[in-house]
Amino acid sequence: MAKGGTQIRKYRLQGAGLDLALPYLMLAPGLLIVLGVLVYPLWDGLRASTKVYRYGSVVADAGMQNYIKLWSDPQFLNSLWVTVKFVALSVTFETILGFALALFCLREFRGIRLLRTILIIPMVITPVVVAIVFRLIYASDAGMLTAISVWMGGGQVQILGSPVKAFIGLVILDVWEWTPLMFLILLAGLQSLPHEPFEAARVDGAGSWRVFADLTFPMMRPVLAIAIVLRTIDAFGTFDQVFVLTRGGPGEATRLVSIYGYDTAFKFQQTGYAAALFVTIGLVVLALAFSAVRLLRRVDAS
Amino acid sequence: MTHSSRSRLTRRSVLKGGIGLALATTALTAIGLPVPARAAGKKVIIGAFADGGLTPFKQKIIPLAKDAGFDIEFLEDEYGVTLEKWFADAKNSAGQYDLYLLDDPWVPQFGAANVLEDLGAAGVDGGDKDWIGSMIDMGYWPPQKGPRVKGFETTTPTLICVPFVGDLQTLTYRNDVYTSGAPKTWDEVIAKGKEGVAAGKIKYPVVFRGVSGNPIVTSWYPVFLSFGGSFFDDKWNPVFNSAQGKASAEFFVGTMKQNAPSGVVEFDSDQEGAAILGGEAGAIIQYSGNALKADDPTQTKVAGKLDFGVVPKQTSAIAQMGIFIAGIPKSAPNKANSVEFLKWYVSADIQAKLSEAGSIPVKRSAFGIAKPGNRLIPVALQQLDAGALPRPRTPDWAKVEELLGIELNKALQAGSGGGAALDNAAKQVKDYLTTVGYY
Repeated sequence: MAKGGTQIRKYRLQGAGLDLALPYLMLAPGLLIVLGVLVYPLWDGLRASTKVYRYGSVVADAGMQNYIKLWSDPQFLNSLWVTVKFVALSVTFETILGFALALFCLREFRGIRLLRTILIIPMVITPVVVAIVFRLIYASDAGMLTAISVWMGGGQVQILGSPVKAFIGLVILDVWEWTPLMFLILLAGLQSLPHEPFEAARVDGAGSWRVFADLTFPMMRPVLAIAIVLRTIDAFGTFDQVFVLTRGGPGEATRLVSIYGYDTAFKFQQTGYAAALFVTIGLVVLALAFSAVRLLRRVDAS
Repeated sequence: MTHSSRSRLTRRSVLKGGIGLALATTALTAIGLPVPARAAGKKVIIGAFADGGLTPFKQKIIPLAKDAGFDIEFLEDEYGVTLEKWFADAKNSAGQYDLYLLDDPWVPQFGAANVLEDLGAAGVDGGDKDWIGSMIDMGYWPPQKGPRVKGFETTTPTLICVPFVGDLQTLTYRNDVYTSGAPKTWDEVIAKGKEGVAAGKIKYPVVFRGVSGNPIVTSWYPVFLSFGGSFFDDKWNPVFNSAQGKASAEFFVGTMKQNAPSGVVEFDSDQEGAAILGGEAGAIIQYSGNALKADDPTQTKVAGKLDFGVVPKQTSAIAQMGIFIAGIPKSAPNKANSVEFLKWYVSADIQAKLSEAGSIPVKRSAFGIAKPGNRLIPVALQQLDAGALPRPRTPDWAKVEELLGIELNKALQAGSGGGAALDNAAKQVKDYLTTVGYY
């Protein structure tokens, strides 16, 4: 061992600086790619958020003005509120449904593999396609819901023209598309739980509810927290479906921050302001994720 | 050892080859050798947004251009993404296009950003009397007439775009409902439309676009103009919430909604097109892209029952203009070809061919040809002579339209409150324009 160490030291001394630098040189291309692809855009976005753009060019330094202006912009505040409502409702329903489905599919019975496969299909469909399909369901003139309603003797079904219904319609779309993700994560979590405590509980005569409340749920808490945090972060960035389905309307009922930010940057050419908006949302999401993780640790510790 | 050497040698050879190729390409480009793909003709890469109004150009004029020695590459995108894509292309000097076929409200944005070539300096004659005056005016930045935004008050107007296809709103109506010709007033549209509904010929007197933002504003605008409204004063103060403006908005969200399909709040051009072409609606104001479908039996159930007319009036019959207008980015890779193509395209001969092909030309002489390819063309000229106005020439129009469109859409949902919606929008527009330095 000692002889080997001496040999390495000797080799290093012989190779001088080049050998010392070799690992770093080998890492350099990867590091450059990471800097270029991940760090630079983030830095550029941050930089842009402190500038005033006019007609596509920087005309002044704004300091923190773009960030301050956001909080007195009624359109931003409205879009933030719509986003918070959308995320809270969607993620809640997706978690409950996903967990229920995961518990159901934990059991082994004939056809379970096929059922599990079918359940994850919505998740693998492109969001834009999902939005088009839901548009064909919701449209008041030629939509499927209207067709069914007319066939049953009713009138046109108005979804996308009503602020409340359009919002609920968007939540339903999101729940349909992303419950499978929660289902998949939670099913994997359930399958990885140890069998012994459950067998012991069964021997002790514990009922299903007691097993769920005292064993399954507490043991699944970390997985649930991770699933909720992941989905929350993802839901904050929802864009494609709204862009295709409602473009934020009617009025501003479904105008998520992503849509408002997109319009601000590309339609209204307010690049700096839009950058500040997205940085702010990024920070909000980051804070949410940290809070969730801290909360989880505190609950586990207690 | 052998394997390792061979492997290193292969990588090295690939690297060598790659570097060699890159250097060779750079060297060839630097010394200006022709690239084989561009050698076939005078290459012109045209960017356009997908719209039925360009169909005659694509079908009839591009083949003529090829005969004239142009190698046209026509790249289409969805309307919603073209502005951002082209603006980024122009600002970053990416050089992906030789010609943008812009929607005319975008001209101020590109003009203010100074990313388009001066076509006047390139030899395009903006003073040719054959131009439709209101169309060529839209190609100048800053505008030759009307108020100018801050920073451009003393700048000499430059021709940065030339009209490409003359598009504007006209009325399409059912000739079995409006039996004595195009309805002249909005009252007539509603009254006779109701008779048509009672007779079972149609389901709704009118149909329009109600979706928030650009669609609803585009539909409301001719009503607004016909009621005598104007948008800004000469200091960029919003005046669209004048008595005339409010009356038009009340009529739009009230009477017009009551006589339109119940889902009109969510209607965009697809749905309004389906309502008129499907035989449900009696009248519609629309741009030529959709109007051109009226005579196509593969597109409509009521071919032969749809006629065209000037937009109805309250005090005047003024339509909104929204022409396709061509600009050459400063970063265009084939700039000289583009200029040559534009000169060829706007010549009286080719404009006459465009008119024969069924598209609305941009030169007056082309309206007078013996056989225009579409019944809409003479009506378009009538509409131009009766009155057609472009949207305000400001780079901030998109934001203004968005603010107004949201408020109008909310009032349309309620079926009332159009006047209050304009007051709200006027305040928001004023606040916004204040923050971006208009006053």
